[in-house]
Amino acid sequence: MAVSRSACMRGGGSSALSMEKLCSLTELQQLEAAYSQLCAEEKVVDVELEELFSQQNAVENKMLSLQRMGPNLQLIEGDAEQLSGMIAFTCNLAENVSSKVRQLDLAKSRLYQAIQRADDILDLKFCMDGVQTSLKNEEYEQAAAHIHRYLSLDKSVIELSRQGKEGSMIDASLHHLQESEQRLKVLVSDKFDAATKAGDLPQVERFFKIFPLLGLHEEGIRKFSGYLCAQVAKKAEENLQLALGSEGKERRAALIFADTLTLLFEGIARIVETHQPIVETYYGPGKLHMLIKHLQAECDRQAEKVVDRFIQQRDYHRKFQQVQGSMMRSSSTEKIEPRDLDPILAEVTLMSARTELYLRFIKRRVLSDFEVGDSMAAEDVKQEHQQSLDKLLNHCLLRCTMQELIGYYITMEEFYMRESVNKAVVMDACEHGQLISSMVDDVFYIVKKCVGRALSSSSIDCLCAMINLSTTMLESDFREVLCNKLRMGFPATTFQDIQRGVTSAVNLMQSSLQQGKFDTKGIETNDEAKTSFLVSLNNVEVCSENIMTLKKNLENDCNKLFSQDLGSESAKAKIESCLADMASVSNKFRDLLQEGLGELNSAAVKPQIKPWINLFLSVSHNIEEEEFNDYEANDPWVQQFIVNLEQFMAEFKAGLSPVIYETLTSLLTSFIALGLEKVVLKSTFSRLGGLQFDKELRSLIAYLTTVTTWTIRDKFARLSQMATILNLERVTEILDYWGANSGPLTWRLTPAEVRQVLALRVDFRSEDIKRLRL
Amino acid sequence: MSMEDYDFLFKIVLIGNAGVGKTCLVRRFTQGLFPPGQGATIGVDFMIKTVEIKGEKIKLQIWDTAGQERFRSITQSYYRSANALILTYDITCEESFRCLPEWLREIEQYANNEVITVLVGNKIDLAERREVSQQRAEEFAESQNMYYLETSAKESDNVEKLFLDLACRLISEARQNALVNNVDSSLPGEGKTISYLNCCNFN
Repeated sequence: MAVSRSACMRGGGSSALSMEKLCSLTELQQLEAAYSQLCAEEKVVDVELEELFSQQNAVENKMLSLQRMGPNLQLIEGDAEQLSGMIAFTCNLAENVSSKVRQLDLAKSRLYQAIQRADDILDLKFCMDGVQTSLKNEEYEQAAAHIHRYLSLDKSVIELSRQGKEGSMIDASLHHLQESEQRLKVLVSDKFDAATKAGDLPQVERFFKIFPLLGLHEEGIRKFSGYLCAQVAKKAEENLQLALGSEGKERRAALIFADTLTLLFEGIARIVETHQPIVETYYGPGKLHMLIKHLQAECDRQAEKVVDRFIQQRDYHRKFQQVQGSMMRSSSTEKIEPRDLDPILAEVTLMSARTELYLRFIKRRVLSDFEVGDSMAAEDVKQEHQQSLDKLLNHCLLRCTMQELIGYYITMEEFYMRESVNKAVVMDACEHGQLISSMVDDVFYIVKKCVGRALSSSSIDCLCAMINLSTTMLESDFREVLCNKLRMGFPATTFQDIQRGVTSAVNLMQSSLQQGKFDTKGIETNDEAKTSFLVSLNNVEVCSENIMTLKKNLENDCNKLFSQDLGSESAKAKIESCLADMASVSNKFRDLLQEGLGELNSAAVKPQIKPWINLFLSVSHNIEEEEFNDYEANDPWVQQFIVNLEQFMAEFKAGLSPVIYETLTSLLTSFIALGLEKVVLKSTFSRLGGLQFDKELRSLIAYLTTVTTWTIRDKFARLSQMATILNLERVTEILDYWGANSGPLTWRLTPAEVRQVLALRVDFRSEDIKRLRL
Repeated sequence: MSMEDYDFLFKIVLIGNAGVGKTCLVRRFTQGLFPPGQGATIGVDFMIKTVEIKGEKIKLQIWDTAGQERFRSITQSYYRSANALILTYDITCEESFRCLPEWLREIEQYANNEVITVLVGNKIDLAERREVSQQRAEEFAESQNMYYLETSAKESDNVEKLFLDLACRLISEARQNALVNNVDSSLPGEGKTISYLNCCNFN
């Protein structure tokens, strides 16, 4: 029984033996085995039972304590129910309270609104009463303040109030107020006009301050501007009459129109200065441009009057036409004297400068006013304001009028420059002992003056145009003058190359015929022609220098101009570009100098020097001891050559600027080196002849080193090496200097040339030379 | 005298009657925009655009001149240093075309001899209002030895082409000049001749 239960407890089937199986057992062995198995199972079961019994106590204890807890649980349940009830109650209470608070809040805000409305209605009444009493007492500021109060009331509130019980009363008040408003507007307007007529500035300002209170900003500014414009017009008319009536001999008579214009600008500037605070205070920031727009219209009108009288009085247009005529046809019947233009050109530039200054002032003022007014504005509003300012500044009649004047001015200034330059060229003279002639200084004085005058107009476009025109004048016309002078050539001296002299005479005649107006005087003597050529070379060099100086000075002047906040980045770029063109003209003069030097070198230097070099051939270098000693006592060639050179170059040293003379000596030394090389290769040498040549070469190099600061060793390197070769004892000695043995020496002669020079020695056998391995 | 980062520098000057669209052409090319309601140009305006053609950087200095008569003496002073002139007219405005001979006289008088002139008929976006036929303009351009192109600054038609073609022609012209100059300066002992292109580098 226990077995089967235990088996069942272990999940049935776990006991290996069932009753049926036991019953079916027949063999003893099998029975024994079954028995022992059962015994083992019994033992296990016993152990388990023991364990269970041992736990019985603990289980019982637990059961006891559970039974004891029973009544406590019932107590807890009751408490919990009570708590939940309380929470629900509190919650309801809270909701009630908060809804009451909300109601209170609403009530409070409505109360406020009611108070506000009551206040407004009271205000309305107060305003109404106030306006009427104020109007009665002519206290317009007070009245306007009441209207302003009324206007700033919330219109919807008033509307609501009208629908209330006291609607009719409020309606009446409103009606009164509106009536008063209209009346006040008309009154203020009338009073303002009256004050304007009377020229009563305090009254004008008084009513001007009232307009914004009535919401009439634009009208106020318009009316006030009208008043100011009338003032400007009156003053301008007076000034103009004063100017026209003034004596022609007064100190600033020549600038009277520029001065009149200046007075106009100063007057307007003063007005802006004086009234800006009122406008700002009573109309708020950002309103100044409205005032200035109106003022500018008056300024345009008045400036035009001044300019018209200027044109009339100064004969500006006729002078311009005259100038234009003279520019078209070179020989006009009534040629205008450039110097006569000086006063009018000065006056125009001063007028332009004043205009620029004035417009700059206006720009600064409006910009700073916009800056304050638009600090919170949207980007497109700002841009719109900027555009309207640009339009005001750039397209106002004043600007256009001045541009027209400047347009004429540029043509006249160009004429002035060209005519004066032509005159300087015609009157060109060179004082004895001067390196350059008068026209160079004169021309640059004129250009400086003209461009300087354009600069003084403060108009960037005007300045750029004059820079361009002077660049053109220097590059084509003036350069052509110098070019023609150089083209006459440097006359060859009488005993040489007569043909050359004839050619330059023909050239001279032709160019005098072609360049009638530029050519100065015929060249009577060769000496004069020579000096003229050398002076022209100096002139060209100085021109090139002067242009760079002019450019640098203009750059400095422009920087000064820009530091006064004149002109934008693009204006700077414009000037830079125009000045760069001017600098490139300097290079063109430099090229011309090189050309002229080349001409001098080939026309005068080379033909003269060549025979002296060729004399070397007539001096035998195939000599013996006796002749060598004789040469020692009576130098056969080099001393005379040096004396000749010295004499020949003295003329150039005296007549050319140091820089050009340097370049010329450099050309000369190159030519001597080349020529001498040629004659040496045509000569024959003995051992002593080689030594003689070495001595001669050393003397020559020593002399040439003293006349030039450039290193000439390099130019004579080949000749020195030839001298070294001609001085050798034996043919094979060359190997001591050649190839690996050359040391610091760099050979300028090719192996073939070395052989050629070796062959000049009569005592060297050609087989030995051929055998050399170079 | 800083060497800037470009291989060529050319000055191009736009001329033609007021209101034919010179400023719009320049703005379209240099800034890629078409500013409507453009006010009249005052004096001269100046823009720079660097383009690259076949690996070479070309700096174009474009001078936009005022068409109005009162600025003529200012604008004329720029002709001589110009490498190219773009003579512009408005295809919807017969008057602007009829003024061309007058402009050509100005060019003859003030510009240098090597200047390249291009004739441009602008505003082809307004084809329905055309007053000058393309054929007539082409014949005129041919008779004056000018290259002719029709553009629309508004629709950006042919604007790039105008400036880039011009740049190409200026480059080939400049190369030829440089070649001629090099041949000239063969005299010994003489400094090398500076071509007008190199001159542009001196700032």
